[in-house]
Amino acid sequence: MAIFLQLLFTGVGIGSVYALVALGFVLIYRATNVVNFAQGEFAMLGAYAMVVLTQDLALPYWLAIPISLVIMAVVGALFNLGVYYPLRHRSFLPVVISTIGASILLTNSVLVGYGPQPESLQGMFDFPGFQIGEVFLDSQYLLIIVVTILLVAFQYFFFEHTLLGKKMQATSQDKEMASLLGIPVARMIMLTFIYSALLGGLAGILVAPIMFVSVGLGSQVALKAFAASIIGGFGDVTGAVVGGLSLGIIETFGAAYISVPYKDAFAFLVLFGFLLIRPQGLFGEKVAQKA
Amino acid sequence: MSIRHVTAGAIAALALGYGAADAGEIKIGMVTPITGPAAESGKYAQIGAKMAIEEVNAAGGVNGNTLTLVTEDDQTTNPGIIAAFSRLSTQTDIPVFLGSIRSTQVDAMSPDVMKVGKPVFIGGTAPQLTHQGNKWLFRCRPNDSYSARVIADYGVDTLGLKKWAVVHSTDAFGTGGMNALVAALKAKGLTPALVQGYPNQSPDFSAVVLAVKSSGADVMGSYFTFETDLGTFAKQVKQLGVTAKWVGSPSITDASAIKLAGPALNGTFGIADFAAGSSDEAKAFAAKYEGIAKALADNQSSWTYDAVHIAAKAMIDTKSTDPEKLRDAILAIKGYKGAEGTYNFDQNGDGLHGYNVVKNEGGKMVFDKHVEYTD
Repeated sequence: MAIFLQLLFTGVGIGSVYALVALGFVLIYRATNVVNFAQGEFAMLGAYAMVVLTQDLALPYWLAIPISLVIMAVVGALFNLGVYYPLRHRSFLPVVISTIGASILLTNSVLVGYGPQPESLQGMFDFPGFQIGEVFLDSQYLLIIVVTILLVAFQYFFFEHTLLGKKMQATSQDKEMASLLGIPVARMIMLTFIYSALLGGLAGILVAPIMFVSVGLGSQVALKAFAASIIGGFGDVTGAVVGGLSLGIIETFGAAYISVPYKDAFAFLVLFGFLLIRPQGLFGEKVAQKA
Repeated sequence: MSIRHVTAGAIAALALGYGAADAGEIKIGMVTPITGPAAESGKYAQIGAKMAIEEVNAAGGVNGNTLTLVTEDDQTTNPGIIAAFSRLSTQTDIPVFLGSIRSTQVDAMSPDVMKVGKPVFIGGTAPQLTHQGNKWLFRCRPNDSYSARVIADYGVDTLGLKKWAVVHSTDAFGTGGMNALVAALKAKGLTPALVQGYPNQSPDFSAVVLAVKSSGADVMGSYFTFETDLGTFAKQVKQLGVTAKWVGSPSITDASAIKLAGPALNGTFGIADFAAGSSDEAKAFAAKYEGIAKALADNQSSWTYDAVHIAAKAMIDTKSTDPEKLRDAILAIKGYKGAEGTYNFDQNGDGLHGYNVVKNEGGKMVFDKHVEYTD
C-alpha cells in the first residue's frame, strides 16, 4: 500500500508538470489554431532565468520568481510578434514550422549563451519534504500539485467570469466574429502568447529542482505534454489537465508494475489508442461538429 | 587542368597524409559532443586533448611536425556521430581519430571505422567494442568487464555484502556493464536480487528506487550514462530511504554528477579509471587540468589527454602515419604511464586492465585502492 501511495503521489506530481505545459499548448491552439512546438522551450527558458537570477546575480529566490515571470511575459510577446504574427494569414503548416524553428533557435541560443553544462536549482523550500509512514512527500512535488490546482481554478475563473477572459475565449472560437464584435483580436492573441509563456516558464521553474536545468529540459517535458493535450482533447483546458495527470500516473504505475525500460512507451501507447478510438480525446469536440 | 593532373594531385595529397615526414602539421580528428545532453563532458574532453597537443608540440612535436586538433560535433546522438566521423574521415590527411566516451555511439560509428581503416581511440567501456573484430579501435579506459569485476570484488570481498541490486541504463553502455556485473557476481556464486534497467533522460526514478528498496538488497551496483539521470536517482534514493551501500560505475565519480547530486552521493563508492590521487602522472594532470578548466579533473578529459599522447608516441615510435604501422606501434606500447593508469595494450586494443576504487566524502573523491588484473 505504501508503494502504491508513493507511486500515486509521484505520478500526480509529474503529471501536474505535463498538465502545466499542456495548458500552454491548448491555450495557443485555441487562440490561433496552431500547435506551438516551442512550448517546452518556454519551460527551459523559465528555468534558466531562475538559474541566472539566483546563482549568477545572487538574487533571493522570492524575488527571482516574479522577475523570471516578467521575463517570460516579454518572451511570450516577442514570440508572438516574431514567430506567429508575420504568418498569421498563412495556413496551419508554415506557422507550425515557424514554431519548430523558434524552438531550435531558443535551444541553441541558450546553449551559446549559457553553455551546455546542466545546472542544479534549489527548491523553493529548504526542507526536502514530509515523511508520512513509509510514504515520502517531496516538498517540490507538493508545490507543483498545489500550483497546478490554483492555476486551474484561476483559469476557470478568468475565462468564465471576467470580460477579458471572455474576449479571449471569443477570439479563440471565431476570430472574424470576435473582430466584428469589436474585440481587438491581435491584442487577445498577444495576451494568449504571454499567458502561455508564463505557464510554460512557471512549469520550468517548478520542475527544475527535480529534473535539473539543461537545454534539453523543454523537449523532455513537451513531448509528454503534447501527448497529454491530445489525450485530453486538443483545445480543451480540462482535457489538458486530466490528460497530463493521467499520463503521469500511467507512466509511473506502468514503470513500477510492468516495465521501467518501456515506461515512455506506455504514454505513447495510450496516445495511439486515443488516436485510433477517440481521436478527439477525452473532452474534445469532434471536428465535424465544429464545422 | 587535365584528369592526369587531378589524379597526380590526389596521389600527392594522399602521400603527404601518410608520409608526414616534413609536412609541418599532423591533424588529430576528434568527434565529440559539442551539443546535446553530453555537451558538457565534450567540453572537458576537448580540454584534455588540447592539453596533450600543447605538451607534445612544446616537446618538439611529432617527427618535426606540430599536432593540431580538428573537431566535429557528434550531437550526443548515434546519427550525429556517424555524420561527424564521415565529415572528418573525408579529410585524408588525418591519420588518427578520437571517438566517443559513450559506448552506444562507438557502436554506431564502428562499421565506418572499419571502412576508413585508421586508428580511432575510444573511451566507451562496453567490453564488446574491442572484441568484435574491429582492429582499428583502441581503448584508453579499462573496459566494463574490469569495472564490473572491481565493483563485484569490492562489494563482496571488501564491504562483505552479498545481496545485490543492479541498476543500469538500457543503452549499449549500461546493458554491457550490467551483463558484465551479473557475470562477475555469478563467478562469485551470487545471483542479484534485482536487475533493473531504465531509459535514459528519465524525469522520475521512483519506480526504480522502490524496486531496489523492495528487493531488500544491501548493496547496489550501477551503470548510469547521463549525470542528470544519476543526480535525479541519487536524490530519490535518499528521499525514499534506500539504505543499501552503493558502488557505481565511473559516471558516479564525474564532476558534473557530483555537482548535480550534491550531498545525495555522500558515502557512495565509485569505480574510477581516473583518480587524482592514484599516481604521480594523475596528480600532475589533475593539477594542470583544474587550473585550465576550473573544474575537477575526471575521466572525461583524462582519456583524451592520454589518447593524444599515445597517438603521438606511436607516430614517433614508427616514424610514420601509415595506418598499419601505427596500429602495430600502438599495440606494442607497454608500461606507458598516463593520467588514467599504466597502459599495456593487448591484441584487442585495450590499453588498461584495472580500476581505482574511490569514496565520495562530502563531494570529494578520496582514493581508496587500485585493482589491476593481468588476465
